[in-house]
Amino acid sequence: MSEALPKPQGAVPVLRRAAARILSRGEWRFTLLSVALLVAAWVAVTSSGLVRDLFLPGPALLWSGLVDLVENGYKSRPLWMHFAFSIERVLLGFGTGAVVGIVLGLAMGYYRKVDAICSPYVEFLRPLPQLAYLLLLIVWFGIGETPKIVLLFLTAFPVAAVAARDGVRNTSQLRIKAARSLGANEFQIFRYVIFPSALSDIFTGARLAIGIVYATLIAAEIIAGSTGIGWMVFDAGRYLRSDYVFVGIGLIGLTGLALDRLILAIEKRTIHWAGK
Amino acid sequence: MGFLAWQLLHASAIVSPELLPGPADVFNAFVEIVHTGYRGTTLGQNILSTLGRCASGFLLACITGIPLGLWMGMSRPIAAAVDYIVQFMRPLPPLSYLILLILWFGTGNTSKIGLLYLTAFPIIVSSAMAGVRSVKTQKVQAAFTLGASHWQVFRYVVFPSALPTIFTGTRIALAAAFSTVVAAELMAATDGLGWMIVSASQFLRNDVIILGIIILGVLGLSLNRLVLALEQATVHWRGVE
Repeated sequence: MSEALPKPQGAVPVLRRAAARILSRGEWRFTLLSVALLVAAWVAVTSSGLVRDLFLPGPALLWSGLVDLVENGYKSRPLWMHFAFSIERVLLGFGTGAVVGIVLGLAMGYYRKVDAICSPYVEFLRPLPQLAYLLLLIVWFGIGETPKIVLLFLTAFPVAAVAARDGVRNTSQLRIKAARSLGANEFQIFRYVIFPSALSDIFTGARLAIGIVYATLIAAEIIAGSTGIGWMVFDAGRYLRSDYVFVGIGLIGLTGLALDRLILAIEKRTIHWAGK
Repeated sequence: MGFLAWQLLHASAIVSPELLPGPADVFNAFVEIVHTGYRGTTLGQNILSTLGRCASGFLLACITGIPLGLWMGMSRPIAAAVDYIVQFMRPLPPLSYLILLILWFGTGNTSKIGLLYLTAFPIIVSSAMAGVRSVKTQKVQAAFTLGASHWQVFRYVVFPSALPTIFTGTRIALAAAFSTVVAAELMAATDGLGWMIVSASQFLRNDVIILGIIILGVLGLSLNRLVLALEQATVHWRGVE
């Protein structure tokens, strides 16, 4: 296709040349082909009855499942309410965990003594499978919202703290010395040199944290919940409604992606100086 | 100091000892479980079945994910054909498809190992691809100029440069698989440390729960150290550029 193009002149041919370059690289063709093959295999396998609807629902069934969920909700609650429950938990748990973690992490990075006191706990908490202490939290706080929020807090907190600490540690010494020799006091150095340069690490940590928090929330809702999209998928699975399960997994994936993009967008707005 | 606070909180009985057992209780539970086991399973058995599931899922993901990722890094058509699937799977919470796997494979070990495989696989594939992509073009060109064959360039230039990134990916994948295995055992299992914790919570044996959490923490930390040690032994050239 690209070989047949005439020699470009002016603005329109430039555009055409750009299009030709993308076309000639041709990667999109492989993606398209792969998607087409996958969809064709799905349609073929489901419509021929090779795989029962129970195991893999066909496109039509999936669509009617989605419409049904949107129109009628799941188990006497509209779909958006399950969504709202999950998002509220994520934001509460992540918000509190990130704020406390970032403040503590900044202190840990700035004062060696704070780091020496706190880091054993943070380092112990971090690799621990989050779900392991969910049961302890349920015994302590009951089965309501509290244990879930505390669980998500404990999930987000160490990730945010470590990121903030490393961010402070990674501040270039040269900049701190330059600011000091220009007569900045300790607070000014922290406020105008250390904090801004730690921000990009803090945001990386926040993105990591919200991903883990979201995955933990879904697990927590499955193990001990009666609302939320994670619970919905699990409950639908128990009744062998695999169309709801598939729709639910798709929704969970999209929501996770949206949360990640949200943090990324905030990061782009806040740290406009990144990479400079 | 945390230990002291724990002991004090326990001894002062502000919190009922049922809810927060003291360090001595947890130690007693440890001794009891080592001697008599927990409800017909020994501690060693539970640790082994948790680690076994984790290891099989993780190793399977390594065996298939690393070659696929390398191939995707080398060939743009392959990357274009596969990458969107991997990128869709990566942010998906693993537990959300556990229910599907149970539907497909039953409640046995297959569905759990499948779950861990699917948890680790996209992370490993992405890291292997990113590792190949990050190889400096000059190095590859220099090797070609010096007369290296395609295979030699891959074996002696691309692969060694990609290895540090691959190791980082496997470490993240192993940590993810480890937290997922516990979650899977909480939901559907009859042995393993996760099962021990669920079962203990049903009998309000908080000493056993805390013991289980401590064992999991120690195991998670050691797994991380193990991969780190392996990495340092293998990729001694990391950071030396």
